[in-house]
Amino acid sequence: MPLNDLAQDLSFKMNDQQDRKYLQSQTTGPKKLEHKKRNREKKIALIGWSIPSIEALDRMGRKYLVVSLPEFGEYASKHNIPFFEWEFDRNLSYEDIYEQSQELFKKLTELDVDHAVPIFEETVEWAGALNSHFRNDRRLFDHSILFRDKAMMKRRAHIGGLRVGVFEEGQSKEDVRRFFRQVNQSLLRHHQEDPDPIHVKAFNKAGAAGHRIIRSETDIDQKLSDQNFPCLMESHLEGVEISCEAFVQGGKVQFLNITEYVVFGYSMMVPPSPEIEALRPAVREEVQKIVDVFDIDHGIIHPEFFIANDGTLYFGEVAYRIPGGHIFDLMKKTYGFNPYEAHILCCDPNTTEEELDGVFPEENDFTGHAGSFLVYPKSPYIGGVNVPPDLEDHPSFEKHTLFKPGVSKIQEQEGYGNHLGTVFFYNELSDHVKQPLTDYVDHDFFM
Amino acid sequence: MTTEEETNHTEIDATKTEAFKQAFITMEEAFPYAKKMYQPDVLQASAKLMEEPEGMKFLYQYAGRFDAAGVFEGGPWAEPAKLEPRLVSGSLMATGMTAIVEILSELRMVSIAKGDHENETVSKEMAKEFLDSVMALNVDILFPEETEAARIEGKEKEKNRAEKLFQFLADELSLTSISGTLIEEIDELVAQRPIMVNRIASMIQDAQQLLENPIDAQDKKAIKRYVQAISGPSKLCKEANEPCDYRKRLKEATEKELKEEARTFAKSMHATGLVCDHHAILVRYLNREKSELLAMALGLSKKGVANLEEHISTVSDLIKVAIHPPMRQSVYGLALLLERGILSTNPVIPGLRRLIELDLQPEIRRLLLSSINKDEGITANDILVSGVISVLGQPLGIGQGMNPTCQTARGISLWSLHAPGYLLELIPRAVRDGDIDIMFEGQAIHSKNLREGLVDDLHEELDPVSLVLVPHLDRIYGELVRRSEFRGEDVHKWVNPAFYGNWVNKGFSSAIDAMTGSIADFSGFVRLFYSTHHPEFNEGHELIYPNPVGIFITNTFGEMLGLHAVSIQRIAKDPDGEYRIYFYNPNNDSSQVWGQGITPTVTGHGEIPGESSLPFHEFAARLYAFHYNPYEQGDAYAVEKEMVQKVEQLARESWGEKYTWVDL
Repeated sequence: MPLNDLAQDLSFKMNDQQDRKYLQSQTTGPKKLEHKKRNREKKIALIGWSIPSIEALDRMGRKYLVVSLPEFGEYASKHNIPFFEWEFDRNLSYEDIYEQSQELFKKLTELDVDHAVPIFEETVEWAGALNSHFRNDRRLFDHSILFRDKAMMKRRAHIGGLRVGVFEEGQSKEDVRRFFRQVNQSLLRHHQEDPDPIHVKAFNKAGAAGHRIIRSETDIDQKLSDQNFPCLMESHLEGVEISCEAFVQGGKVQFLNITEYVVFGYSMMVPPSPEIEALRPAVREEVQKIVDVFDIDHGIIHPEFFIANDGTLYFGEVAYRIPGGHIFDLMKKTYGFNPYEAHILCCDPNTTEEELDGVFPEENDFTGHAGSFLVYPKSPYIGGVNVPPDLEDHPSFEKHTLFKPGVSKIQEQEGYGNHLGTVFFYNELSDHVKQPLTDYVDHDFFM
Repeated sequence: MTTEEETNHTEIDATKTEAFKQAFITMEEAFPYAKKMYQPDVLQASAKLMEEPEGMKFLYQYAGRFDAAGVFEGGPWAEPAKLEPRLVSGSLMATGMTAIVEILSELRMVSIAKGDHENETVSKEMAKEFLDSVMALNVDILFPEETEAARIEGKEKEKNRAEKLFQFLADELSLTSISGTLIEEIDELVAQRPIMVNRIASMIQDAQQLLENPIDAQDKKAIKRYVQAISGPSKLCKEANEPCDYRKRLKEATEKELKEEARTFAKSMHATGLVCDHHAILVRYLNREKSELLAMALGLSKKGVANLEEHISTVSDLIKVAIHPPMRQSVYGLALLLERGILSTNPVIPGLRRLIELDLQPEIRRLLLSSINKDEGITANDILVSGVISVLGQPLGIGQGMNPTCQTARGISLWSLHAPGYLLELIPRAVRDGDIDIMFEGQAIHSKNLREGLVDDLHEELDPVSLVLVPHLDRIYGELVRRSEFRGEDVHKWVNPAFYGNWVNKGFSSAIDAMTGSIADFSGFVRLFYSTHHPEFNEGHELIYPNPVGIFITNTFGEMLGLHAVSIQRIAKDPDGEYRIYFYNPNNDSSQVWGQGITPTVTGHGEIPGESSLPFHEFAARLYAFHYNPYEQGDAYAVEKEMVQKVEQLARESWGEKYTWVDL
C-alpha cells in the first residue's frame, strides 16, 4: 500500500469521528420557522381576485385590500372593493419576485396592510415574499417556494418520510430517456415490451398544465419539446387519486375534507365514496404528517394522494391555497359551512382556538354527496351549448352554468385549460353522483 | 307578495317555488359585487319553474325585482336599453342558461311595459314597443304548429319554454299592435322587391295566424291582401285552387274571365312583387293558347308591350322553359325584363338561348335541382334560365342571403344592369366549365385553381344565378385581395376595378390608413367625397355606373359592427328637395337602424324598388372607402366647414370610437 493512501485512510477515521461528534452537538434537518403574529388592527391583503373570498372578508367584517391585476380595477371601483392594482409578471424568477416584492411591500405598508393571503397558485410566492417583509423573516419566502417548486416539495416530503415516487429533475430529453430506462431497469421491465410509465411535469404550474405521461421512448420524442424543460420526472404511482383540503391552525388540522377525483381533470366529489371515506383516519395521519414535515402553522393546504390497492397512501403534491374545481362550493353544499370564511380564519396567524370553535362541522356530518363536472370546449370554435337532453332530468342534477358563449373562438390553453361552465350534482348516494360525473366525459357540451 | 297570491299558485310544485324564493332572496341580499355568484342557483330554480304550467306567472311576480337583485348582472342583458328584439328568438332557442336569462329579461320588460316596475333607461313605451316587435318577429312561436317536423328538429324543451313565454306575453299584452309591426316589416321587405321571397312568404304565413284574433280592421285587410298575393287573388283560383283544377278551369274560361284573371294577377304582382302559382299557370296557358293576353297578364306598360311584341318568339320560348309554378317569381322577373327592354341588347337573346341547352356539370345540376322540391318534373336548365330572367329583370333584387358575400352580390347586380352580355358569359363558364377566369395585372386567375374564398360553407338559400356564380366569384375576390395586400393602401383600390370591370373608376380614397389602421385626415376624405359626388360641388357630373363603396355598419346605438359593401346607384334630390344617396344594399334587409337617427329607408323618399337611401351627409358619415373619377373633381374647398364637421362628429361618436384618429 503506498504511503500516502495509508495517510489518507488514517485521516478518514479521524475526520469521520470528528464529523460525527460535531453532528451530535447540532440540530439537523429542516430549519423551523418562527411563527410570528401579526398586528390585529391592520389589513389583510388578498393576493389575487376571488369574489367568494372578498365576500367572506366582508361578511366577517375584516379590514382588507385586494391586490390583483389591473383588469379587475374597474369592477372593484364600481363596487367599492378596496383594490390595489399590481401587474404580476409570470415570467420572473423567484429571486426577481423577491426583489420586486419590496416595492409592493412598501406600497401595501402605506396602505396599512401587514399580512398577505394568496388566492392562486401563481400568487403563493408573492404572498410568501410579502409576508417575509411584513414579518422581517426571509425564510417565509423560501417556505412558500416549497409549495411552488415541485422538486423542492418532493424532496422535503421525501426527507420527512412521506411516501413519494422516485423523482429527478431533468434538463433534456436525454435526461428523460435515462430516467425512464433506470426506473424500468429497477422494476426489471427494461427488457419487456410494456415499460412502466413515468411522468414529466412542469416545476411550478397548477393542475395538469405541463404534465406529460411518457409510456415509451418514442413518447419522449413525440410528446416533449424544449418548452417542457427543465422538468420534474417521476415514477408512476398507481391508484385512485384524491385531494384533501386541510384547514390548519396552530399546526393542527382543524378540518379535513377529502375530495374524490372521479375522472381526473373533469369531475370530483365531496365527500368521497364510502370505500375511500373508510380510509379517513389514515388520510388524516398523512395530512398531519405533511403539516409537520412542511412546518405549517396556519392556512389551507390542498395535497393530492394516490391510494394504492392495499390502501397505502402516496404523496403526490401539495398546494398552499384554495383548491380549484369548485371543491369549496361542493363542501359548502354538503357540509353547510362557508369554507371561504374558514379559509380567511385559518390564514390569519392570530386566529385562536376559541375563534375557530363552532366554525367547522363534524367531518362525518354531511348531508349527501356533491359533485362537480367541469365542461371544457372540445373544439377551437363553438357556436352554442349542447346540453344532453337527459341531463337536467337526472335525479342527481342540481344546476349548471352553461351559457352560449359570447365569443366563439377558444383561446389555446395549457393542460385542461379553463372550463367554460360547470354541471353540479347532488345526491344522498355517492353512486348516483359518480355515475353522471363519469358519463359525460365524452359528451361535447358545445356545438 | 301576499299569502293570498301565493295560494293562487297551489298548482305549482311547492319545492320548486321554495327553491326559487330561497335562491332569489340570497342573491337579493348578497353584496352587489357577489351577485353573479348566485345567478346559477336563481337561473336553475327559474328553469325548473318554467316547466310548470303557471311558472311564468309565478316568476313574473318577482320580475320588478330582477334588475336590483342582480339576475342580469354582468351579462349582455344588464342594459335593457341595448337589447335587440331580433336577437331574442336566437337566445330563446339557445340551449343552456342563455334561454333562461332571455325569458327572465322578457318578464322584466313586461313589468316595465305594464308600469309595475320602472327602469332608468327603458320607458314604459320603449318596453311595450320592444315586446311588440319580439312578438311580431316570432309569430311562429306565438301560434305554434303541432307538426311532426317541429318535433323532429329537437329542442323540444326550449320550444316548450318559449311557447309558454309567448302565451304569457299574449295574455298580458294585446296582439293588436303586433299585427301593425308585422305588416310594417313585410311592407319594408316587399318594397325592395327581392328575387328571393321565402322569408316574406313565411312572414305572411305568420301574419295569417293573426287573422283569427281581434286585430285592427285595416291590418286585417293588409294581411289578407298579402295572403292572397301568394295564394291566388283571382276569382277563378278561388273556384279551383289546386293547380291541376285551375289549369282545367282555364280551358273552360271565357275570354272575359281570362282577361279578368290576367288583370287581377298583374295588379297583385306589381303591387307586392309576389307571384302565386296560378299566375305562372295562367301565363303558360296564355302563351300556348292566347298570347295576345300575355301583355295584360304581365301588366306591361307600352314600352314593355313593344318589347314583348318585338321578341314574342323568344319570350314564348322563355315562358315554356322557365315559367313554372315552383319558379313562379320569374313571372315578375320576366315582366320587369321586358320593361327594361333588355332583350334588345345584342348579346342577351343568344346568351339566354345558349343556357337552355347547355350541358351542366353534374354537381351544378344537383345544386340547382335541390333548390326546388323533388318530383316537379323540371330540369336544372329550366331553373337556371328562370334565375337569369329574375336577375335580368330585378338587378336590385339580388341578395347575398345568409352569406358574407356582399361583394359578389354587388357584382352580379352591376353586370345585370350594365353588362348583361358579360354576365351571360360568366354563367356558362361556371356551370359548364366549372371555372371562371379574370385577368389581374397581366396574369390570369382561374377560380378552379383556387381553394378558399370568404365563405367556407355557402348557405344555399340563394337565387339560381348567385347559387352557381358566388362560389367562383368569391374565390376570385379572395385571391384578388391576397394579391393586393401589403401595398400600403386599401386593397379595394386594385381589387374593385379588376373584379367588377372597367365600370369602376380608378380614383380611390379610404378613410382608414392601411398602414396604421387609424383614421387619417377624415375631413379631407369627406371633402373629396363631396367634391366628387355631391351635385352641388362636383360640377354636375352624374354618376353613370354604380360605385362600389365600403361602409361601416353600426347598430341601433351607433356602435361599430363591421365593414360592409354596398353600391351607390345614384345621387339625386328626393321629393322634398333634399339630396340623397340611393344605394344598393345586397343584404336585402329591411329598415336597418344605424344609430344617431341614421335610418336608411327603402320607400317614401323616391327610391326605386331595391334601393335604400339616406340623406347625403348621413351616408357620408358611415362611408369608409369610395371610387371616383380623378378627372371629375369639383371644388373640395367649397364644401362648408360646418357640413364637414357635422359628418365628422357623427363618425367620431359612432364607429369612430373603435379607431384612433390622427391628423396629417
